[in-house]
Amino acid sequence: MIGRAFLATFRLILTDSTALMLLIGSAILYSFFYPSAYSGEVPTRIAIAVVDMDHSGASRSLVHKLSALQQAEVVARTVSQDAALAWIADRRASAVVVIPEGFERHILRGEQGTVALYGNGAYLLRSSTALAGVGAALGAVGRDSATSQAMALGAPAPPPLALIQRPLFNTREGYGSTVFPGVTFLIIHQTLLMGLALLAATMRERQGALAFSPGGLLGIGLAFFVVGCANVAYYTGFVFWFQDMPRASGSIGALMLAAALFVAATVAAALALASVFDLRERPIQLWIITSVPIYFLSGLSWPVEATPGWLAMLARLLPTTPGIHLMVGINQMGASLAEQKGELFNLCGLLLLYGTIAFVRYSAPAAPRRAG
Amino acid sequence: MMPGPGGTAGTAFRAGWCREIRFLRSNFWDFALISWIPLALMTLVAVQISAGVMRDLPIAVVDEDGGGVARELVRRLEASPGLHVAVRAADMRTAETAVRSKAAYAVVLIPRDTERTVLRGQTASITVFYNASYSTASGAALREIGTVVQDYAGRIAKDRTAAILPGKVRAPPIAARTTILFNPQGSYELQLVALIHPALLHLIFMVAVASALGRELRDGTIGPWLAGASRFAAVAAIAGKVSVYVVIFMGWALLATSYLAGLRGWPVLGSPVMLLAGYAAMYLAYVGVTLLVTGLTLSMGKSLSIAGLYAGASFAFAGAIFPIESASLFAQVWSAILPYTAFAKLLAEQWMMGSPAMVSLPHILVLLIFLFVGSGIGLPRYIAAATTPGVWGRQ
Repeated sequence: MIGRAFLATFRLILTDSTALMLLIGSAILYSFFYPSAYSGEVPTRIAIAVVDMDHSGASRSLVHKLSALQQAEVVARTVSQDAALAWIADRRASAVVVIPEGFERHILRGEQGTVALYGNGAYLLRSSTALAGVGAALGAVGRDSATSQAMALGAPAPPPLALIQRPLFNTREGYGSTVFPGVTFLIIHQTLLMGLALLAATMRERQGALAFSPGGLLGIGLAFFVVGCANVAYYTGFVFWFQDMPRASGSIGALMLAAALFVAATVAAALALASVFDLRERPIQLWIITSVPIYFLSGLSWPVEATPGWLAMLARLLPTTPGIHLMVGINQMGASLAEQKGELFNLCGLLLLYGTIAFVRYSAPAAPRRAG
Repeated sequence: MMPGPGGTAGTAFRAGWCREIRFLRSNFWDFALISWIPLALMTLVAVQISAGVMRDLPIAVVDEDGGGVARELVRRLEASPGLHVAVRAADMRTAETAVRSKAAYAVVLIPRDTERTVLRGQTASITVFYNASYSTASGAALREIGTVVQDYAGRIAKDRTAAILPGKVRAPPIAARTTILFNPQGSYELQLVALIHPALLHLIFMVAVASALGRELRDGTIGPWLAGASRFAAVAAIAGKVSVYVVIFMGWALLATSYLAGLRGWPVLGSPVMLLAGYAAMYLAYVGVTLLVTGLTLSMGKSLSIAGLYAGASFAFAGAIFPIESASLFAQVWSAILPYTAFAKLLAEQWMMGSPAMVSLPHILVLLIFLFVGSGIGLPRYIAAATTPGVWGRQ
């Protein structure tokens, strides 16, 4: 019974080109397409405009050192601050460095010469990286100038505390390696959900209300479970290696168990959701428009601490929320199952919840619904 | 209601409009797609990011020194509004477990001899390990920790100057004062919600229009609807059908803009009219793309799948959050053929940067090119399908 349903499901997937495209084709397509957006990773040289209002030896030397920086490319030297800010407004420059009048005088007096650095807040996430780079570079230039200053005045005091920053786990720190390993499990979730729902809705379009025996339902579920696990294996085994994403930090056993649980919960949710669609194209519509909110709700890019509590609880009803944390935790952060037990319990709960809903929905002929 | 051969463009337009309204009123799910579903999705995002800044991010502290300097530093970390010392670990192993189980986004390690080094007038190194897998949260925590350490270092230096070495120590020679233009509060709410709302709207819009056009092919209703009409009347009828969606989604654009600008207090610094013109031009651009895709595939399922692939990743490729300029040539080309990219630039100029309205005009023109090229290729094929029953009902 289970075996027959299992094989019949595979036959069904293979004969429906749209379902095949959703379940397998899009996983392969996205694995190359999506990371290309981030292929540049850390922007190496950001465009800066420089305004020198001091016209002194010290300011010229600073401008010269700025243009030699690895992080920045001086694209313009303007006479006024307004002209430089216009470069930012046109997006031709990402940051502006203004050296004010009296800069050299301050330094020669042994005081601090202050340089103003302007970044574009309309591109907050982009400009914070750029500003940090230029800020650090200015500090380095400052230390060089200190040496010449020191001859006259004695060395400046060393700061009592210095902060050393060390990234954990995702040591490449690119945008791609932060976002893509999470988006991966959203892609797997969405394609499974919609591929399954599309097939179920097609069957319903052709033969009316669907009902399956528990064994038959299990067979169908197992077939999609195999597809989902193959997708996870393809991404965690091949794509993360090919795209050089942080990977394989946890034990393989933990990874397999976590993947199995995530896929199982997703398939159960897909079965439950598929029981409400009666139009073939409906799941595709839903697949497209829900991805962005589901990704943000997972809490990878927007922390749960800054999300209202009730919404964070609600987000726990989506398999992606615990799934993304769990898979990133084990595969990227090298966490053990014990360290991720909250996510594991969450997924078990969802498996039980959606599994029960699916069995109830398919056991009896479904009640009449509003047509779509 | 059927645009006959003799009907004027105006009648055909009105007929197309009324026909679509009638359909939407009698189909629960299709109406949901343009009514409460966009509202629900936009609300979800708006509510989630409404905090705007991150507060009380949990961090762990490993204090190997145990001296007064360390105690004061921990006290200052705890007092910082952005941070919350959730874990005080005895060693790094325990602290890393806290990070792996997400009880902390960063670990501040205060090494042995910190106090002694500071008292000796040298530099003690505090190390912060942060979870780069959660970069938004750990980045915010990192900035806060940096500020706290710097402030405290400044405090110690001041005390030391006064006490031990009067007149001998000076501040570092160059300091940079950083100003964030156009978003001085550094609000993620302004940055993210302003961009995610149009990202959602253009996606739902494209899905709704692809469904509206594709439905006629799938159900074969395109024949009775357009087959008898003149070319001119057919174009007007399709325009009437699509206008329903443009008008409804302009309403959503107005609501999304009023919410963020009026209710949440992030005013549109440029021209609100230009911003809305941008929305309208973006919708028209997606009408062009949808006509192209539908005309080429002549299948509702396929055109929807392509719409998903094409518009689904706009947010990543638009270059507003991640710099697309440094990505591969493929990514840059892909970014350029997404109307959302041009709109995101217009939005930044008109909402945050307060640019003159004329500055954004080129983006509008770019968006209109999508409409003309897309409908130029797609429309004739779509209209021709009305008299080709063989292509109806494709899956």
